[in-house]
Amino acid sequence: MQNDQQLDCALDLMRRLPPQQVEKNLSDLIDLVPHLCEELLSSVDQPLKIARDKVSGRDYLLCDYNRDGDSYRSPWSNKYDPALDDGTVPSERLRKLEVEANAAFDQYRDMYFEGGVSSVYLWDLDQGFAGVILIKKTGDGSKKIKGCWDSIHVVEVQEKSGGRNAQYKLTSTAMLWLQTDKVTSGTMNLGGSLTRQAESESPVNEANPHIANIGRMVEDMENKIRNTLNEIYFGKTKDIVNGLRSVTPLPDQKQQAALRNDLAQAIKKRSEKSESRS
Amino acid sequence: MSAYNETITEEDKVSIVSRFLLHAPPGEFNEVFNDVRTLLNDDSLLKERLSGSFSQYNKDQFTPVRIDGADLAVIISEHNDVGRNRFYDPRSKRSFKFDHLRKEASEVQQQEFADARTESWRSAFEAHFANYVDNYYKHGVCSVFAKSDGSQMTIVACIEDHQFQPKNFWNGRWRAQWSLTFSPGQSTAELRGVVKVQVHYYEDGNVQLVSSKEIKEEVSITGEAETARNVIQIVQEAENDYQTGVSENYSTMSETTFKALRRQLPLTRTKIDWGKITGYRIGNELVKTDGR
Repeated sequence: MQNDQQLDCALDLMRRLPPQQVEKNLSDLIDLVPHLCEELLSSVDQPLKIARDKVSGRDYLLCDYNRDGDSYRSPWSNKYDPALDDGTVPSERLRKLEVEANAAFDQYRDMYFEGGVSSVYLWDLDQGFAGVILIKKTGDGSKKIKGCWDSIHVVEVQEKSGGRNAQYKLTSTAMLWLQTDKVTSGTMNLGGSLTRQAESESPVNEANPHIANIGRMVEDMENKIRNTLNEIYFGKTKDIVNGLRSVTPLPDQKQQAALRNDLAQAIKKRSEKSESRS
Repeated sequence: MSAYNETITEEDKVSIVSRFLLHAPPGEFNEVFNDVRTLLNDDSLLKERLSGSFSQYNKDQFTPVRIDGADLAVIISEHNDVGRNRFYDPRSKRSFKFDHLRKEASEVQQQEFADARTESWRSAFEAHFANYVDNYYKHGVCSVFAKSDGSQMTIVACIEDHQFQPKNFWNGRWRAQWSLTFSPGQSTAELRGVVKVQVHYYEDGNVQLVSSKEIKEEVSITGEAETARNVIQIVQEAENDYQTGVSENYSTMSETTFKALRRQLPLTRTKIDWGKITGYRIGNELVKTDGR
């Protein structure tokens, strides 16, 4: 009970503290409530880190889902670094699917991000499997603005009717980080994440393998989140700033607001009067 | 991870919780307070060791408060902290006790702090800043403080504007502090400003804008009213430049940086044919195998 309440508070706190310091906040939080360490690490999304697979020479992404102790598994070689003899790996059937998924999402990444790194990790469940699709793209820093995008799509697949149907549950988080330091505007740091969920049931067959079903869901979701990020980052937060201060003088607006207020009061009084009469 | 199982000292706990409290977004101190209270699970430690952070937060944030007998709100800041949780409002010449958790004033007393020499300057700045804030801030509050040290005096103007809309999952605050240290008779002095903006949007996410700019400009010192007018001219232009710069960054981030990170659609302008993507790959692999 105490633990549940503390976990709720810890997650609420992480939704409020500046996301720009998510890593520091999370490690401090774990220091404060060490008994919630595993739950916090698996439920708080952090910016993805990149490592290089020494066997294949390819980059891969690190997250809690390919971590075992202090080692991380590469999706390319299926090996842990630092090496682990007994590190958790997917079943043979799932590893085959994981290899295919990595190839498919690598193409997806190339078509939408035109650069960056992607990794897919799968793990076995009792009635199916689950996986995470990760994508990271760092901007080239042109026009003195640093930019970075992190996608974390967690999917849970429940196989039904002997594998001919499957239920897909998707939780997607996209993080967008933008930063600049200029003479005119000073430092400006606009960043954070949005999380959305979706569910669908689809037939699974040769024309619609799991990867295609998951791929369509991830693509739709990421397109939607991209639109929302666009509205919130460059529309909403900008409007909020310009709703505090105006670059042009606004004495009229205050008078208008006072007038509106007077009017509202007058209407309220009238309706109160008519209510008391009836 | 073994490192995480070690328990930390009370000292470390206090410093972590203090950092969390001081980083509460505008308008969300109570929520952060409730979270850390449950996490710390030690109310006496919270009360004994962290009440300093509650007041630090309100001073950092330029928390405005209305007091009995004053027409305009006063800003809570380090400049009008007179100790024992009491603050001073130079405009209404009143001091009051401030409850840092409820953010309410009580025990208001008439009190004269300023000496006549700084007061003529302070009140001239106050009149000009109040007029400026009325003209450029939609719900702005400002307080102007003065202190003297020998022949030198320092005038500090604090400006605050916020909008808290937790029902719509957003809060925002603009703060500006402008200070001028000079001796009357000196021909010029350096005006120092710092402007800070923070916006939090948190519907199914956590997105924040954290921005700040420091400004230094030379201003000529003449009489009280004229100097105040010079200062306001610089402040208005500097804050406009900053706000325009921020707006320009928004455009560049949206038009250039964001577009280069992820496309709306692939180059083909159509969504991916997932049947083909997996098919192509298998085809490719067959070709590779044949080639070997």
